[in-house]
Amino acid sequence: MFYGLSGVRHNSYVSDSKLFPVPADRNAVVFFLLLGLAAPYLVSSLYLNSYILPWLIWTAAVLGLNLVTGWAGQLHLGYAAVMAVGAYSAVHAAKFGIPWEFALLIGGLASSVIGSLFAFAALRTKGLYLALTTLAMQFVMDWVLTHSPTIAGGSHASLQSPTFALLGQDITSDAGLYYVAFGWCVLVTIFMLNLRRTGLGRALVAVREKDFAAAILGVNSFYYKLVAFAASSFIAGVSGAILVSTFYFLAAPEQFAVNVSIQVLAMVIVGGLGSILGSYLGAALILLMPGVVNQLFSLGANLLGLDLGIETLAHIPNAAYGALIVIFLMVEPLGLGKLYANVRDYLMVWPFDQLKK
Amino acid sequence: MPNNPSSTVLKAVPNAGDDTIARLLMRNAREYGNDIAMREKDRGIWREVTWSAYAEEVLRCAAGFMALGVKPGDAVIILGDNRVRLYAGMTAMSMLRAYAMPAYPGATLDELKHFFGEAHVVAALVEDQEQVDKILELRDAGTSVASIVYDEARGLNLYDAPGLQSWESLVEAGAKRLSADPDLRRHLIEESKPEDPAVFMHSSGTTGKPKGIVLSQKNVLSGARNAHAGGAFEYGEEILAYLPMAWVGDFALTVASAIAFRFTVSVPERQETVQRDLREIAPSLYLAAPRSWDHMLTAIQVGMENSTPLKKWLYHFFMDRAVEAERRKLNGLSGGPFERLGRLVGEKLIFGPIKDQFGLIHLKRAFTGGEAIGEDTFIFYRALGIKLRQLYGQTENSAFNAIQAPGEVKLHTVGKPLPGVEVKIADDGEILMKADSVFKGYFKNEAASAEALQDGWLHSGDAGYLEDDGHLVVLGRVSEVVFTQSGERYVPNYIENRLKFSPYIKDAAVVGAGRDELTAMICIDAEAVGHWAEVNGVPYVSYADLSQRPEVAELVKEAFVRVNKAVTEGLQLHRYVSLHKEFDPDDGEITRTRKLRRKVVEERYGQVIEALYNGAADIHVKAVVTYETGETGTVERTLLIREI
Repeated sequence: MFYGLSGVRHNSYVSDSKLFPVPADRNAVVFFLLLGLAAPYLVSSLYLNSYILPWLIWTAAVLGLNLVTGWAGQLHLGYAAVMAVGAYSAVHAAKFGIPWEFALLIGGLASSVIGSLFAFAALRTKGLYLALTTLAMQFVMDWVLTHSPTIAGGSHASLQSPTFALLGQDITSDAGLYYVAFGWCVLVTIFMLNLRRTGLGRALVAVREKDFAAAILGVNSFYYKLVAFAASSFIAGVSGAILVSTFYFLAAPEQFAVNVSIQVLAMVIVGGLGSILGSYLGAALILLMPGVVNQLFSLGANLLGLDLGIETLAHIPNAAYGALIVIFLMVEPLGLGKLYANVRDYLMVWPFDQLKK
Repeated sequence: MPNNPSSTVLKAVPNAGDDTIARLLMRNAREYGNDIAMREKDRGIWREVTWSAYAEEVLRCAAGFMALGVKPGDAVIILGDNRVRLYAGMTAMSMLRAYAMPAYPGATLDELKHFFGEAHVVAALVEDQEQVDKILELRDAGTSVASIVYDEARGLNLYDAPGLQSWESLVEAGAKRLSADPDLRRHLIEESKPEDPAVFMHSSGTTGKPKGIVLSQKNVLSGARNAHAGGAFEYGEEILAYLPMAWVGDFALTVASAIAFRFTVSVPERQETVQRDLREIAPSLYLAAPRSWDHMLTAIQVGMENSTPLKKWLYHFFMDRAVEAERRKLNGLSGGPFERLGRLVGEKLIFGPIKDQFGLIHLKRAFTGGEAIGEDTFIFYRALGIKLRQLYGQTENSAFNAIQAPGEVKLHTVGKPLPGVEVKIADDGEILMKADSVFKGYFKNEAASAEALQDGWLHSGDAGYLEDDGHLVVLGRVSEVVFTQSGERYVPNYIENRLKFSPYIKDAAVVGAGRDELTAMICIDAEAVGHWAEVNGVPYVSYADLSQRPEVAELVKEAFVRVNKAVTEGLQLHRYVSLHKEFDPDDGEITRTRKLRRKVVEERYGQVIEALYNGAADIHVKAVVTYETGETGTVERTLLIREI
């Protein structure tokens, strides 16, 4: 049902390796793309800039972490630190008078360099040890930010981000800022979609499944891990810079603290390792669900006429939100993306139960 | 080009007059050169050939065969599964005025030897190593085939037989010849006449050796034209060429009609991938033998049986109602508004998805032909929303005698005779036909020809009658209408088809001529029953073992009970035996088109039939089986006689 495959055929290998060979998928992608473009006209600017915009930027960041964790299989607990590098570098560059286009690039490259340098050392370890090493990177970065006034603008201070501009045009309108976030998210998504069907993507997957087996296949696992860290750090850097310049408007060390790293990792895991759609869903769940659950609870309490204490009202949503994540992961350990894939598979063979031979 | 003045007036009949396959092909190449003529799947990719490229390939092939010494009146055997190159070769033969003689890829050496004995076979165009081996073996046995051209080179690089060459080298030689002799091209296109042969077919041979049937280009083209005028198809249909090339239906559709009406013909990768390829092509026109429709029906039924309770319930909810509605409609009754609503929702929820799974969603014209289709199968597909229609045809009349018009489908008729086909009923009830598409007589078989063609009327061998509204009713083969001892008249085939509606019964042979009651021998469907046994935990070691399991007997009995309810009192089946092996064309029990060779079956299983009537509880059989290698072995089994 919905996923009609009749008449889908390929007369060249190029056509066979299309991104969305199934017409229904293609239509859905086009639909959501148009929806994204039309969002400023459909949604009030409050929702647009305080929910959708950060969601898109975080999604881009999650996709970056997914590259290293989901594709290359390397646990990364210092992702926020890498974002911080990008954010601070870009803001400093912009303050210095460099146009934002290049400032973003500088942010991305700085993250990439620092991330790779760190990975160069960290990748000598594996698994839990790697996780601990990346966590160390997070703490080192936290310490550097709070202890070097030249970078952070002083102890416990925040760094004002200059007005965002592209091609010499100041972008200050809500819609304009939204489009910047939207554009970046789409760009990263396209990159990740295509990664799946390149040699690089396949090499990363080989490394994830078993790095020494990959080595036997002629895949230099250390090299590819490093590439994964570099590319993911670049995405993290630019995402961090865009987050600061279009959403926070100032950079502060606590925006990129260790809890943020954990949160991004949670987005990846709840969404599904290696799933692009999952990155969107995971970011949405972690980022937006607390607010939604909160509202639902107060609404429900009002409707039922329950007189809940302000304390209770503050804590129940948190518990519910936690329970929600646990439930989702129990139902489908491979994340929300897989949950969708299950539904898709079910409808794909409808009304039969399995594909015929 | 047609120089017949009427062709400009009658736009609906453009290929009138002295059109030949070659000229029509060239017309397509000239006027629609960039349209896709053929598609062939190779390693998952559909390779497309345009009309101009295809025409060029055919010309080169014709020139190549000319270089090999193929002269008018010679025959070239075409052996293999459907391949674009084999089709091109067949078309090329019509340019050379030689006989293209397609044979079933599974044909045994004996069958092939019979073909070689008929005409002067000078060359063979074959698919692959397997078929090359066959021809080489025949050559060792003393046949005179000089050249062998193969399509697929795999496994053949070390072969060193004289006259063996690849398609590429044949076409290359042809291209050289074409460029050396500028007149040759025109000669190849213009030389053949409508009276020249298009193809050399064989009768199915349910009763004895297959007889040679030469269809002229005029025959096949007017057959196609009649079918078009009768509403069978339009220009530019999308079809899948999966039917055996030696079946007249395939030639009539994928060569004659395809060239005359510019079809896009897609050739599946292999026989095993037909189902998947069918889905990828999603044809607009589809002709299948009843057994293929039955096979697909079994696949749907088994698939639904394995589905989840919710989907199963939905399926039965909508399907049962749709079948009922269709049955009412075919009996001339109309349904209420709920029926339409049920159809609409059912189409979205169940029927559409099923049709999509099987690639039937874009199907506008679906036909069943070759033999009678079971009523239940027919209604099932119509309920599914596929406007399945019956096509009545035979090799002697280029496959098209009569079809049901879209709005005039009735259960018991095959529709009106096609425009251009004149039908009358002989005094003994035999259907007689006269048309441009009727052949000139069996090849070198005067006696049989005289019997089949009298005063230009083709004696079809089918019993039937014309109804007042012009619809033709076909009862069955004249030779197959039989009587029980009590004088009850019946056509075994009719009851067999009803039995075969059950997914668990693959083949059936109803016996009872001259007996007091009817009984049956059945072959269970190995796939469907095997699957059922797996799901229900019924252990078995082999087909023969499975066929005798009591659980399976219960399963099969349901089908018998259902059939007994549907037929009249005197024609109910009383006992049956489940045979230890499937009917096999290699054993001669069925033809390659899977029609029952009743005489052979009744002779081979005479012992079993005897046991069905003498009250025995079981019968010990010792059967000789022919393996695919041609070796024979014996199987011993005790078969249980089951009461219904």
